[in-house]
Amino acid sequence: MRAAAIILAALLLTGCERAPEVTFADASITLPDDPLDLPDLPGRDAVIANCTACHSPSTMLQQPKIPRAKWESQVTKMIEIYKAPIDEAAIPQIVDYMVAVQAAQTETGPAQ
Amino acid sequence: MSNNRLTRRALIAGAGAGGLGAALAAPVLAQKLIDLGLPGGPSLRPLEPAFPGKSEMIVQRIRPPLLETPMAAFREGVITPNDRFFVRWNWSMPTEINAAAHRVAIGGAVKTPVSLTLDDIASAGETVEVVAINQCAGNGRGLSEPRVTGTQWGNGAMGCARWTGVRLRDVLAKAGVAPGAARVRFSGLDVPMTDGAPQFVKSIPMDIALRDDVLVAWGMNGEPLPLLHGYPLRIVVPGWFSTYWVKMLATIEVLTGEDDSYYVAKSYRMPEAPITPEDKDFPTVPITAMPPRAFITSHADGAVVAKGKPLTLEGIAMGGDAALTKVDLVGNGLAMTCTLGPDEGPYAFRRWSVTIPQVTGDLANIGVRAANAKGAVQPEALNWNPSGYARNVIERITLRAQ
Repeated sequence: MRAAAIILAALLLTGCERAPEVTFADASITLPDDPLDLPDLPGRDAVIANCTACHSPSTMLQQPKIPRAKWESQVTKMIEIYKAPIDEAAIPQIVDYMVAVQAAQTETGPAQ
Repeated sequence: MSNNRLTRRALIAGAGAGGLGAALAAPVLAQKLIDLGLPGGPSLRPLEPAFPGKSEMIVQRIRPPLLETPMAAFREGVITPNDRFFVRWNWSMPTEINAAAHRVAIGGAVKTPVSLTLDDIASAGETVEVVAINQCAGNGRGLSEPRVTGTQWGNGAMGCARWTGVRLRDVLAKAGVAPGAARVRFSGLDVPMTDGAPQFVKSIPMDIALRDDVLVAWGMNGEPLPLLHGYPLRIVVPGWFSTYWVKMLATIEVLTGEDDSYYVAKSYRMPEAPITPEDKDFPTVPITAMPPRAFITSHADGAVVAKGKPLTLEGIAMGGDAALTKVDLVGNGLAMTCTLGPDEGPYAFRRWSVTIPQVTGDLANIGVRAANAKGAVQPEALNWNPSGYARNVIERITLRAQ
């Protein structure tokens, strides 16, 4: 990132006025893209249409193995609490996909 | 404990494992991976892509960024460099700050609502520094057994920095706190990605807000706060989990009652009393002050040590919301008090070391146990909770003697 501000050592000026100790500048960064894609399993399109706006594929593939009911409650939580605009008809497809992805995962790594 | 075993393997984007279908026409990425030792997996995480201002980090999520510090970064000193410091955003983070246009609005139960510039904040009072650990409430969640959902952190969602800023109470004085004030709530520039979802706002009780060492900070280890860490300003609450250290500070709101906002009233909460994984519907309390923790940083789990020779172990420890008082080496019949390194204040990491006079065999399930000035001691067993918060079980490793 560009240098955003300069912090100066505390400096006492004559008359005991404190010099400005920090100056703030404009700052910007460019974040990297997500290089991981999702494994090609049934329901992938539903996941891309409904989930990937907020969730990196990388995160989805890193969750511990949980039962179908827990995935259902996760999707419900996204809809009810985080107001995810998920098409109701897509819910079973999303759940199927996550269960299938986890079934295909190796012991330590994501499906690959 | 996280192992930091590095492996290189090809991750094929879009391809399934073991005959899961044809690989898509996607580039083959040779990725550097790290093994976090998460029970049952998936345990491998990429150390890429690179993020601005960061050297090697464990990439838990790319968007919004979740970056974990590899345990190797804790092998020396007590300060975590900015380029190795963990990053956690709940919602999408802005990537651009216009300093002259930035304002911090102070409202709610105040005498005069004000909108302050960055210079107004910086000159609100005496400039203060505090060395303090910033630790995610979910640090170590991925090590929970049984596993729980959420960001699957190893133990690297923590760091210790020297923070520079002004006292929050001096900033509050610009507006004047009205009678009846009970809590102070903060919001940043990060906003929900979906309409109607709860904004990430957090509040602290007034007695905490008025503490000598609770800051509105702009400096991190002598540099301006990096954007990833909340430039231009973030709240610093030494001894409390980082969920309260709101980044890209935009509003300060004084409340006269309880905070019913989602991330205080519904989320970031712990069972009031210990539970089992089968328990449902238990009372909860907000996750606030940090408990003591200690880590062996000189040796990874499974490392080989010399039989018949002395062995020096080293690491870091923290007292949490009170000064660290003691670190003991335990397990495998051991009970040794470790020597503590220089003291950077009650909220900082402190190094420890201990020498076993002679290694006579494998050292199975050894660990270090920290205690703090309030009498809190790390427990033998995990205080399991469904969100994996406040992990502070003794972290154990096994060393092989040869």
